[in-house]
Amino acid sequence: MSRATQGRMRFWLVTGLAMLAAAACVAAFWSGSTANAVVTGRTGEHLIYPAPLEMVFAPGGNRLFVLCNESDEVRVLDAQSWAEVKRIAVGHEPRGLSLSPDGKQLFVTNSWDDTLTVIDAGTLDVTATWHVGAEPSSVLEDRAGKHLFVANRISNDVAVLNAQTGEEEKRLSAGRGASYMTESPDGSRIYVTHVYPNASPHRTAPESEITVIDAERATVVDRIPLHSIAGVFHAALSADGRLGAVAELHPKNLVPLAHLEHGGAFEDTLTLFGADVGNRTVEVPLDELERYAARPFGVAISPDKSRMYVTSGGSELLTVIDVPRLLRYVRLHRAPFVQDLAASANYVVARIAVGRDPRGMVFTPDGSRLLVANRLSDSISVVDTRTNQVVSTVAIAGPRKVSVLHYGEQAFYTARYSFQGQIGCANCHIDSTFDGLEWDLEPDGFGRDIVDNRLIEDLKGTNPFKWNGGNPDLPTECGPRTEKYFWRSENYDDLTLTDLITYMRSLPSRPNRWKLPGYELTAAQARGKAIFERSVDKFHQPIPLQNRCSYCHSGPKGTDQKSFDVGTKKPTDDMSKFDTPQLRNVALTAPYLHDGSAATLEEIWTIYNPEDKHGRTNDLTKDELNDLIEYLRTR
Amino acid sequence: MKLGVRALLFALCGLVMASMCGFSPDPAQKVGADIIVTAAPVYVPRAELRGAERFPKGAQLLLVHDGKAESLVPDFAASADANVSFDGEMVLFAGKQKAEDPWQIWEVNLTDRKVRRVLTTATDAERPFYLPVGRMVYALRTPQGFRVQSDDDGHPPRYQPMDPVAGPGPVQISFTRSSAFPADVMRDGRILFETGYPMGTGSIPEMYLVYPDGSGIESYRCDHGLPRWGGEQLTSGDVVFTQGQALARFTSPLAHEERVTAPQAEYAGAIAETSSGAWLVSARAAAGERYSIRLWKPGAVAMETVIAEKGEDLVEPVLVVPRTTPKRFPTALHPWSYANLLALDARLTREGELQGTPATVRLEAQDANGRTVVMGTAPVEKDGSFFVQVPGDTPIRFALLDAHGTVLRQQHGWFWARAGEQRICVGCHTGPERSSDNRLPEVLEHTTTPVDLTHARATDNAHAGSR
Repeated sequence: MSRATQGRMRFWLVTGLAMLAAAACVAAFWSGSTANAVVTGRTGEHLIYPAPLEMVFAPGGNRLFVLCNESDEVRVLDAQSWAEVKRIAVGHEPRGLSLSPDGKQLFVTNSWDDTLTVIDAGTLDVTATWHVGAEPSSVLEDRAGKHLFVANRISNDVAVLNAQTGEEEKRLSAGRGASYMTESPDGSRIYVTHVYPNASPHRTAPESEITVIDAERATVVDRIPLHSIAGVFHAALSADGRLGAVAELHPKNLVPLAHLEHGGAFEDTLTLFGADVGNRTVEVPLDELERYAARPFGVAISPDKSRMYVTSGGSELLTVIDVPRLLRYVRLHRAPFVQDLAASANYVVARIAVGRDPRGMVFTPDGSRLLVANRLSDSISVVDTRTNQVVSTVAIAGPRKVSVLHYGEQAFYTARYSFQGQIGCANCHIDSTFDGLEWDLEPDGFGRDIVDNRLIEDLKGTNPFKWNGGNPDLPTECGPRTEKYFWRSENYDDLTLTDLITYMRSLPSRPNRWKLPGYELTAAQARGKAIFERSVDKFHQPIPLQNRCSYCHSGPKGTDQKSFDVGTKKPTDDMSKFDTPQLRNVALTAPYLHDGSAATLEEIWTIYNPEDKHGRTNDLTKDELNDLIEYLRTR
Repeated sequence: MKLGVRALLFALCGLVMASMCGFSPDPAQKVGADIIVTAAPVYVPRAELRGAERFPKGAQLLLVHDGKAESLVPDFAASADANVSFDGEMVLFAGKQKAEDPWQIWEVNLTDRKVRRVLTTATDAERPFYLPVGRMVYALRTPQGFRVQSDDDGHPPRYQPMDPVAGPGPVQISFTRSSAFPADVMRDGRILFETGYPMGTGSIPEMYLVYPDGSGIESYRCDHGLPRWGGEQLTSGDVVFTQGQALARFTSPLAHEERVTAPQAEYAGAIAETSSGAWLVSARAAAGERYSIRLWKPGAVAMETVIAEKGEDLVEPVLVVPRTTPKRFPTALHPWSYANLLALDARLTREGELQGTPATVRLEAQDANGRTVVMGTAPVEKDGSFFVQVPGDTPIRFALLDAHGTVLRQQHGWFWARAGEQRICVGCHTGPERSSDNRLPEVLEHTTTPVDLTHARATDNAHAGSR
């Protein structure tokens, strides 16, 4: 071989390899182009991110509607290229999205506006905005096109609207914090879940339900009990209607929170229902011995019922379940299964890492792909349902910088800081609120100093924190205390803690549904306000300053930030003085008192104030107490 | 272009043929990092659990670079038990400057080979492992056998903890009267250690977990009875170990061990996982032969020898690479001399139904001389719950008694609770797979004061604590 030939060979060899390398680079770049938007900086600006929450395909599958919770819009994507087609502005904090059965209308519930946006799915124009109940969180239209069903989180009910006019015809009582709905494949039944537990006696296991509605008659026909469950999210039914599943939290709030190992604080579970499980309920764990599926939210069953998928917001993963194996397991073994962390080995076939705070899911029309909305990554993971691999990640266009608030929200919703990734802030502060539970924390002693969980909105100016007022500020509350007694593992670095605190301080108070427009008071509210502010009782006796409602619950947020003995100390309490809680949205946050012993506001005075130490109230009639409560609800 | 395509094909064919003809990369190169191994003329596996010497004729650490081995610390009479720092730059090891010295903990800087004594003890100190926050854990020989202990590693903490695990100085971690050795530091921050099963009395090597402050002691898994040692956590979270002379693993989904289908050989102790997912193992074909370091890709039918030394057993392979720092554990111990233990349902066990109804629970402790001392009894509620205060940092065990005082079940071995620890047991030997039920234990409905079992008593106090 001549030297020239050798040289040519070397040239072409090098050229060929260079081309291969270039092709690899192009391929890498191409695949990367669908990944999340490039982060170009960290900023203290208040930026608005899309925060994709729920998705639905247009009939025919050519378009994907993506509900963006933070940017208050529906993004319309081309289902082939994932290119953005249009942004449709909707109301504030949209939470629910569905298509009409004929595919012509898209419905969006705007949870903080208390409105329903109706969008023409063809023209992509908003055609109507209807007022609905308090904090509407999901919506479904019946098959006949007669009624719209709207689950209202704050009013704990399902509003039945005339589908043509949007006029409300009636309300159906649902579970507390009614939020998510799914219908049976034939459309005859609607299954409603709720995020806060129903009322149950103090220091007993929480109770929840799946409210079953007859869609044609618009009546509740069943309430499927979910014992020991607090926090129920998406539901799914198989295409044959024989298997249903809800994603849920199984808290351990009655057991002292001494450590996290072995599911010591929460278990992440599914409850199965329907004919496939003998028309009973069967709770099955998603967790393993050392790996947890923290905060399950979305659940989807493949069209052929071979697989079930569950998103876990805290663990940032998608759990894949083999449905035949799951059914075989629950049929062949004796319940209960929920305390067995080895059970999931019998039916979980994959755990797929996705983005941050994964929420809703949707199958592509051919079922070959499952899309997962990653709320805090502003992306959609596209999962190959055959290989259980994320084949691409679709970025939902948003700010190129990451704000401190966004980092803080990510820290709030992840479980990665806790021992074995079991829990995060959002476990007990569902959607940055509360959980309606009382907890037995370890440092005070087992069974001692039971504490009710508090709402964390509008925190500025409400310190100190903890019921004993022991934590002077949020960095103390969320830093070493959380590390030692909740996460039981290495906590945030200083920067992340600052992000988290900044996020928590930014949480606004949600709109108060008991206030009239213009903040006028109803007659009852005005009477209640007078009672709240009175200085003389009904017997014309002066009420000592410290025994007036308005003394401790002073200021715009209803707290003087001090601790008082209001006679609520229990034998299991070490202290008699408790921090004065703020009154913002107090109507939402039952149970009440430091230990959650008062199931209602009324019980604070009718049961737990025998000596008038918690305000002078024993001179009041029931009607007057009702007036006081009516006023408190406006705070 | 045609010529170019031909050349490319030629090159590819050449690569394929080269690999078929055995011109594949050297196994040492496949590892992709330097290796440190312990070489010993005589190696007696698990001898240390019996208080004997693993390396009765000495040992030395070898640094293997590009397939060539050199002594890591040539000035030492003996060296073993290498553990690479999280940044991959330092190595903790057990060493003897003179043959008659006890094993001590040393550290060598891999850049300049400077050696530093980390710890001075009167007795053997072995098996050091780095912990986060400037601490280390090791085994210290005592009259009762080796115990697990932690201490400062001489480096300033990279992060000043709000509540350091123990402050400066040594912290005893294991408290039974039998030898225990750290095996690995888990990513969740816990220490994996080996001791005999049943703990404190038995001789079957078994693996346990404990937090770096000595609290939270528990079996890794409860399918006891098989000799397990040399546990090492992989990046997947699985723990691979030697079971007898084979390899096995614990995985997160399963409550029992899973055999590893590896080539037929006798394996010894811990493995090391390479960045490509292959394992470095210490293995020999049969008894009487020498252990060498082999590379095995899980699923492959054969292993490749990375390094073998004539007349030497090569064991304890570690890779010289940076690795993820385990989570720092924030201790929550209270300033007490005792511990509080709450059993949610003592009737629950993986050992079958109880033959009777438990009425009381009896606590026994071992005194300083190893004698069993009855500390008293406490009532067991109808739901199986009991709440007791026990002496901290002391070997203890429970027995469930019926109303006639007949023992229904006796704990197999001994365990401990750290002074200041508050802990919950789901049942009595229920296994780590058993999660608690969300139920208010009856005992806490009656009292939040534990029955005091911290002092040996002549009379039982079955009704103490009720109020």
